Amino acid sequence: MSSMGTVWRIALREIREHGRSKSFLVTTSVTFLLVAALVVVPGLIGGGTEESTVGGVGTGNEPIITAAEQLGNASDEPDAEPSVSIDLQEFEDRETAETALDEGEIDAILIDGSEVVVESVGGFGESSLLSLLQQGAASVELEAVVAEGGQAAADVIEVMTSDPLETTTLTGPEAGDETRGAVAYAGLLLLYIAVLLYGNWMLAGVTEEKSNRVVEVLLSSVKPWQILAGKIIGIGSLGIAQFAGTILVAFLAVNLTGAIELPSLDVVVVANLIFWFILGFLLFAVMYGAAGSLVSRMEDAQNVAFPMSMIAVAGFFVSIAALGDPDGTVAVVGTFIPFTAPFVVPVRASLGAIPAWQYIASVVITVATIVGLVLVAGRIYAGGLLRFGSRVKLREAWRSAET
Amino acid sequence: MLALKDLHKRYDDVVALAGCTLQVDRGRMLGFLGPNGAGKTTAMRTIFGLVTPDSGEVTWDDGPIGIEQKRRFGYMPEQRGLYPKMRAQEQLAYLGRLRGMDAKAASASADAWLERLGLADRRMDRVEVLSHGNQQRVQLAAALVHDPELLVMDEPFSGLDPIATETMADILREQAEHGKAVVFSSHQLDLVEDICEEVAIINAGQIVVEGDVRELKDAAPIRHLEVELDGEIGDLFDGLEGVRQIRSDDHIHTAIIDSGTDVRGFLSRAQAIGQLRHFAYTTPSLSDLFREAVK
Repeated sequence: MSSMGTVWRIALREIREHGRSKSFLVTTSVTFLLVAALVVVPGLIGGGTEESTVGGVGTGNEPIITAAEQLGNASDEPDAEPSVSIDLQEFEDRETAETALDEGEIDAILIDGSEVVVESVGGFGESSLLSLLQQGAASVELEAVVAEGGQAAADVIEVMTSDPLETTTLTGPEAGDETRGAVAYAGLLLLYIAVLLYGNWMLAGVTEEKSNRVVEVLLSSVKPWQILAGKIIGIGSLGIAQFAGTILVAFLAVNLTGAIELPSLDVVVVANLIFWFILGFLLFAVMYGAAGSLVSRMEDAQNVAFPMSMIAVAGFFVSIAALGDPDGTVAVVGTFIPFTAPFVVPVRASLGAIPAWQYIASVVITVATIVGLVLVAGRIYAGGLLRFGSRVKLREAWRSAET
Repeated sequence: MLALKDLHKRYDDVVALAGCTLQVDRGRMLGFLGPNGAGKTTAMRTIFGLVTPDSGEVTWDDGPIGIEQKRRFGYMPEQRGLYPKMRAQEQLAYLGRLRGMDAKAASASADAWLERLGLADRRMDRVEVLSHGNQQRVQLAAALVHDPELLVMDEPFSGLDPIATETMADILREQAEHGKAVVFSSHQLDLVEDICEEVAIINAGQIVVEGDVRELKDAAPIRHLEVELDGEIGDLFDGLEGVRQIRSDDHIHTAIIDSGTDVRGFLSRAQAIGQLRHFAYTTPSLSDLFREAVK
């Protein structure tokens, strides 16, 4: 049997045993319920008519508003209060309308039935209005196409799938920041929770094997690094599955209930979050694993894990700072410190506020640190595993693995 | 054949092994004895590389022991260790797989051992809910599940009731009969005497006595003399030469004497004192050998 075969078997055991443990099932279902509730409840409480006001400049805006309103209420019960109501407020020119939009008096501006101006793209409230307006404009255009006799399926499809209104924002091209920031913040929070949660699984798993002495049986036929690697892969996979599951539940809840409009989620933003989630998890899991090998009792485990937990807390706060000031000194310094990078970099990257070279350098530093830690931790782990009783000093563990 | 050759190991000021040399052939069962702290566990751990000796070597069939060899060894550590939350059968199958068995064989072997040890109906119980004795049985199965060529058992009999002790002894004996090399450590000398042909006694990190139990006894420089009398023993033993030690309780008097001592006149002198209830002149017990060896 190959070395990796052994690692894989160890990983599978972790997945199987942790995956069906009560604590895992409970935390997973509670998380899923919580996330679903967070998404669904505001929508239920919201209810009623969603009122918005659109500023109109020039002509040709009225049919779009009417069509948008009809589309928005299309699925309502016959006697129910309409779920969407859009008022049109005429403005003299673009400037006055934009001032009103900026001050929040109106929610969007239609110009000559061909352009729509919103405060920002992808914000939670506005985007539902924006997409209604686009759909409205499309149906108006469709009527025109039909009236002109162009009934070819291709024409219809083209109209239906295009966004006929040109969209501009008041804040320019970085208008999506708020949403992307929100996504980054949510991802960051999840990462932080995951590092602590799964890191503690590592810690508890390693300490447990030591406290119930099963490690001596294992080590009689398996190498220490294989146990460490198998545990990291097993617990990591479960962690990522739970992480991905949480996101999936959130998406499902959003789609099934239509409670809130989905922020326009960039695939790149999500991929970036998952990538850094994996790096962050690896980094901390290796450290937690080594720490767990130093103690024989669960009561001592929290003490050795304390420094790691502090690092995670510090990383979290640094990245909150980075969220507020993604180009600031704190954010830049945090990018190059491997222990804060997994928290800071995804935030900066989501906000588009990190130069490519910094991103690459950060990945290189973090990966190099993980590799270095695997070597150091592997040795501490090997040295610490068979020393029972009181807490093993780092140096002792290092030395006893030397021979 | 397992061979430990001139092993030395020192932990700071404590010498754990001081030239320990030992050999166990296939098909043989060796009882490994020694007082606490004599180096039994350390010596056993060196077989699995759990302790690296400062000098000396451990070989299997005259070759070095690597991971491939270790996968064909079975080990029961002194401190028992199993995953408490794992089901008994799955745990055994898992350990079988870690030692290179395929899934089907590992699972079948796990079931077979649970059946043999009377745990068939508890196979899907978590180890933590099993009684202490049953946990011990699972631990034994964990050492045997992959049908190892060498069995290394550290105090396998400690904490077992008489019936479990018998089962354990049967299985160890049977393993040796099947051509496995078996070595186990124990404090229960009477037990070792009953089940083992070969013993090695370690003291202060060195093997001080090694060999066939019967031969060792015959060759021992001492004999055991036991007398039970109605009446005061008085100076009965004073007439004997070469008395090393006398123990008395109420009516039973035991003396350890030199093996060359002439005891022919002793019996008649004892009979003169009172009704003789019990008289025995034997080779020393393993306990006597042990005490002699480690004193």
